[in-house]
Amino acid sequence: MSEIDDLVKKITQQLGEQSTSAASSKTGATSVPDNMGRNDYPLYGKHRNLVKTPTGKNLDDINLNSIKNDQIKGDEMRITPEALKMQGEIAASAGRPAIQKNFQRAAELTKVPDARLLQMYNALRPYRSSKQDLLDIADELRNKYNAPICAAWFEEAAKYYESRKKLKGDN
Amino acid sequence: MKRQKRFEALKKRPIHKDTFVDEWPDEGFVAMMGPNDPKPSIKVENGVITEMDGKKREDFDLIDLYIAKYAINIDNVEKVMATDSTKIARMLVDPNVSRDEVLKYTSALTPAKAEEVISKLDFGEMIMGVKKMRPRYKPANQCHVTNTVDNPVEIAADAAEAALRGFPEQETTTAVARYAPFNAISILVGSQTGRPGVLTQCSVEEATELQLGMRGFTAYAETISVYGTDRVFTDGDDTPWSKGFLASCYASRGLKMRFTSGAGSEVLMGYPEGKSMLYLEARCILLTKGSGVQGLQNGAVSCISMPGAVPNGLREVLGENLLCMMCDIECASGCDQTFSASDMRRTERFMGQFIGGTDYICSGYAAEDNYDNTFAGSNTDVNDYDDMYVMERDLGQNYGIHPVSEEDVIKIRNKAAKALQAVFDALGLPKITDEEVEAATYANTHDDMPKRDMVADMKAAQNMMDRGITAIDLIKALADNGYPEVAQATLDLQKQKVCGDYLQTSSIFDSKWNVNSAVNNPNTYQGPGTGYRLYEDKDEWKKIKALPWALDPEHLKL
Repeated sequence: MSEIDDLVKKITQQLGEQSTSAASSKTGATSVPDNMGRNDYPLYGKHRNLVKTPTGKNLDDINLNSIKNDQIKGDEMRITPEALKMQGEIAASAGRPAIQKNFQRAAELTKVPDARLLQMYNALRPYRSSKQDLLDIADELRNKYNAPICAAWFEEAAKYYESRKKLKGDN
Repeated sequence: MKRQKRFEALKKRPIHKDTFVDEWPDEGFVAMMGPNDPKPSIKVENGVITEMDGKKREDFDLIDLYIAKYAINIDNVEKVMATDSTKIARMLVDPNVSRDEVLKYTSALTPAKAEEVISKLDFGEMIMGVKKMRPRYKPANQCHVTNTVDNPVEIAADAAEAALRGFPEQETTTAVARYAPFNAISILVGSQTGRPGVLTQCSVEEATELQLGMRGFTAYAETISVYGTDRVFTDGDDTPWSKGFLASCYASRGLKMRFTSGAGSEVLMGYPEGKSMLYLEARCILLTKGSGVQGLQNGAVSCISMPGAVPNGLREVLGENLLCMMCDIECASGCDQTFSASDMRRTERFMGQFIGGTDYICSGYAAEDNYDNTFAGSNTDVNDYDDMYVMERDLGQNYGIHPVSEEDVIKIRNKAAKALQAVFDALGLPKITDEEVEAATYANTHDDMPKRDMVADMKAAQNMMDRGITAIDLIKALADNGYPEVAQATLDLQKQKVCGDYLQTSSIFDSKWNVNSAVNNPNTYQGPGTGYRLYEDKDEWKKIKALPWALDPEHLKL
């Protein structure tokens, strides 16, 4: 995903388009700008209509009444990959590319259930996993959750854990 | 020897209760520029760092590998490494050089080069550097809200009071781990009662902490520790890759988070590899940067007694705070754990961070009597509130808190205790009695509170998690039972998690949930006449000028 983002950014720049047009930063714009910039921030104030819950609800449609009427579930109030992508673009535009990379990983992880996510984290702790265990998680991330950046993260860990002796049995 | 009476008197002063040690570099008892610290160097081949600080790539440990790949701007690194460290240090205090210009250099430092730059600065120059490099325009502060019996009603009341006094971030932890869910909801309800927009956390074991966040009970996390040597990192049961992944886990749930590191942790954990505290901390800071984590709690933090014991120790501590900011990372600058019996030295501890102004001057001001602080006591606590207000007023310098009236505090403590009472009632948790509400309203410490059945509380806390209770249930309980404004504030916080604005660097909220971060409100300091000044911040200055016990000259009877 990060490679694609980079490519899109390059093409956009070649076309001579500004990353954030004045029009797109107005609240009420209906389409997602190609690339958010620091002037689009905060999304809550400037692009609230573009931010949805995981089931596609608008933030303005969630209020005390909808909660009283049990229309909002406990896991409704979660960030989406789209919001993380926009926040990542804002971070990069404000000069913080590493934060964008973190949000790209996070966007992929929104699809992984809580319990499985905690297991994956634990598998990366030292001496917990064999090289194959880590590569299996990489496969799972890539194929089940469409999470190639995180898959590469596990593959990289597998490589270095082997050479730097952090695999199961190395202690 | 017959004792000289002056020496005898001095020996009885509180400073003599503090521990000091001579430098011992091989065991890491050296603040900065230790004799075994590596010399700065870099070699880049085909876009890959093949040598860093005198070490070849094949000898890199996991921390080196991670920093080399993720934390250094390779395009600039050769130029920066060839620049004289004194020149970079001078940029920090030069009013002709902007923060952005400094970042071009500081985004391409190796750990040893970073250490060398910091070591060129004396304490006053570091303060100047902090003024320029803090990411957010306006400084702020963070507090602890705890008590040693994990009394939920007292937590709610203390959180409400702390919110009123001005803390935009509040941190709790437990005396007994199983209480965590109760502490998390108590500080949440209390803080949102005190002032909508406060962010809260519950510092517990990593997996539990993430779980509390996923439920919506907490807004951010901070105690995600990283270390400067491979051995200590491993002993801390993590690697750079696991911690980097954990950072992404938090972001994937819309939760703000910062890492924690600081001088002395490697010495305390026994494997500093003979390196100085600043060199090891430079590695932690770069690791944080590389992880894409927006913030770091550093400045020795709970290990403050280590740098505090060696020469240049507190200078190093401010230096590591500054280095964090130079890497464009939000800095919660320590000034938390108690370390000195001397009031003068307690003041010295926070002076650099206070005068420089950091994103959070304390990463844990005790918003309770230190007797009730379960983080082992803080350098400053509730008993210091009035001293702090006077210092702000004397110096025209923001410490992030302001005086409040006794009437307002009584009112807000009462409301928070009642709101929590309603939540406990609605969720079928062990009853909070009217007697407890009354006690929490007027309490100073947990001794003023009626005893609760702690076993029943802990069982109920676990049961609450088993039942799958989330923040939505809390909001419903508040809304259905007469606390719609607290419900609304708690709901607004959940909306912010969907939106993610507060994942950006140095974010806090005002009472209308307007985010205030390094993105929309960056530090603009560049010498006299620029940047944030308390005495130009009308509302805040008015509150601080109006010291409740100041005399009114018009009504003085002479």
